[in-house]
Amino acid sequence: MAGLATPTSASRSMILLDGVHKVYDAGENAVYALRGIDLEIGPGEYIALMGPSGSGKSTLMHILGCLDVPTEGEYFLDGTPVSGMSSRALAGIRNRKIGFVFQSFNLLPRATILRNAELPMLYAGVGRRERRERALAALERVGLADRAKALPTQLSGGQKQRVAIARALVNDPPIVLADEPTGNLDSKTGHEILAIFDGLQREGHTVLLVTHDSAIATHAHRIVRMVDGLIGNGDADASEAPS
Amino acid sequence: MTIHESIVDGLVDVRTHKLRTFLQTLGVILGVASLVAVQGLADSGRRQATRFFSEFGGLTKLFVSNRPSKETKVTARQLASDGLTWDDVQAIKRDVPWAKLVDPIVQLELIVRYGSFQRSGEISGATPDYPAVYRFYPARGRFLTEDDMASGSRVTVLGDTAARKYFGNEDPIGKTLYFDNVGFTVVGVMMRKEFYFGEDSHNALEWMNEMTFVPLTTVYSRFTGDERKRVNYVNVVVDKVANNAKAAEAIKTVLYRRHGGVLDFEVHNRSERLKQQQEQSRMFDVVFLVTGIVSLIVGGIVIMNIMLASFQERIREVGIRKAIGAKGTDIAVQFLVESILVTSIGGAAGLVLGVGFARAITALLGQPAVITPQMAAIGVAASVLTGLVFGLYPAVKAARLNPVDALRYE
Repeated sequence: MAGLATPTSASRSMILLDGVHKVYDAGENAVYALRGIDLEIGPGEYIALMGPSGSGKSTLMHILGCLDVPTEGEYFLDGTPVSGMSSRALAGIRNRKIGFVFQSFNLLPRATILRNAELPMLYAGVGRRERRERALAALERVGLADRAKALPTQLSGGQKQRVAIARALVNDPPIVLADEPTGNLDSKTGHEILAIFDGLQREGHTVLLVTHDSAIATHAHRIVRMVDGLIGNGDADASEAPS
Repeated sequence: MTIHESIVDGLVDVRTHKLRTFLQTLGVILGVASLVAVQGLADSGRRQATRFFSEFGGLTKLFVSNRPSKETKVTARQLASDGLTWDDVQAIKRDVPWAKLVDPIVQLELIVRYGSFQRSGEISGATPDYPAVYRFYPARGRFLTEDDMASGSRVTVLGDTAARKYFGNEDPIGKTLYFDNVGFTVVGVMMRKEFYFGEDSHNALEWMNEMTFVPLTTVYSRFTGDERKRVNYVNVVVDKVANNAKAAEAIKTVLYRRHGGVLDFEVHNRSERLKQQQEQSRMFDVVFLVTGIVSLIVGGIVIMNIMLASFQERIREVGIRKAIGAKGTDIAVQFLVESILVTSIGGAAGLVLGVGFARAITALLGQPAVITPQMAAIGVAASVLTGLVFGLYPAVKAARLNPVDALRYE
């Protein structure tokens, strides 16, 4: 798959990884977290990234989310090579291209729901009025517009995750990365959250769910399995996934 | 993220950590208060001294006095010198271009008698320029004139206290006073002069109210018969303060030459004296200044310490902000804005406290308090600077956090 990294194929893919390695603490104690990942994800795909802990899926997630850069290899995001970008440029990519949803919600505890939802637009330099409108629209969409003035501590887990999703969507990023988004929720609430991701995918977002739960993975159209820093041969349709 | 938005977030942070904010601001409050108080006291002192001088002639007045030789061995040349004389006055008028007014004074003790009142008193022989030199004018009647000088007339002008002493509540104008049995007609009474350095202190200008003036020429013709027309001192009013030093030098040169190379006189420069006084009081200012700066440094270190101590609980916040697109500079600006916000709050409180200090101390000294825009400027500048300097390290540290590590931080 090394031949994938050509401009033509790069321009077709939303995400294209070519021989990505990640090594921590180079030297004697080196940890080889990723050992040559090749991965292509098209626009609008719904992917589940699975694997046991220590398989490198978190590291891959961080690189895909531009929170970290590969030690070796190329990463094209929406046709743009991001491997060698400065941390400043990566911040811009995270802001515009990627919406993050975390297992532990990661809302700012002292900021109101509205402020939390506005945050990505603050860093994008969106004007006050537009910011407010878009944040309220995103909260409306996850059914929380009426709680705009509340603080995160006043919300249930499911509501917090809805706010996090609203925050991930305000800058309308092409990619939504969700790291165990239902891990801290009961199964009923989890299903409601997953239904939102299903909807996002139908609207054209590329959705990538990191999970260890096969039942959740069935929502995706494709499952990428990781073992020991490599993508296993289980790269298959979700319908074939074992339960 | 704009600075405005950072302030919004910073205010939330300050509100939720009231005790922390209070502890952080304490040093800044004391430091700024100290700086502001110094400025206020220095200003108050300066204004007071300038005002005092302006009450009797302002800063352009040079005062030339006779000086007895400090040497025990008096040379023949010194004995030969007459000291300051009427002719010296004319020479200064002629040869010192910056001299606007030159006014000699002769003082002598005479027996003053009015009715049954009789007592020895000090009489001043003066010229018609005296009121202009001292900015000291008659309240009633007139002062001495050129005609009085020319004819050596027997007229006298009294200070307010002197007039009361001799005449009580009677109107002195037109009455006759006897100096050593020579009758003088009172033609004027001077306005009353008052200046108090403190509320409880005495009138520093009372000596002016006690004066009794007669024409200078009359002193020579009626009392001393002094052929050499010696005078006790000479006031020279210079055209402007900037020329004080030049004029003082020129006067010294003229007199030194005329006195045959004998230094039996002294030229006092008021603006010099004011400067000296200020330099002396600067010692006191410096102590306060150092105290203020030390307090600010301590306050700054406290702020930095607390910021670093609370840094741990904010690492995750930095991670979240970075994950959704904050650049390093956004984080640095946010941290800096917060520290400046905290120090500014301290600065505002310090300003109020400092003005209070200055008021209290000036009240204690009985001086009027002076509150100037500079005090506010110093307070604001000092607090912002403290926030900037001591907020820098935590800000840079936060900006450099790796987003992955920061997000993982529990």
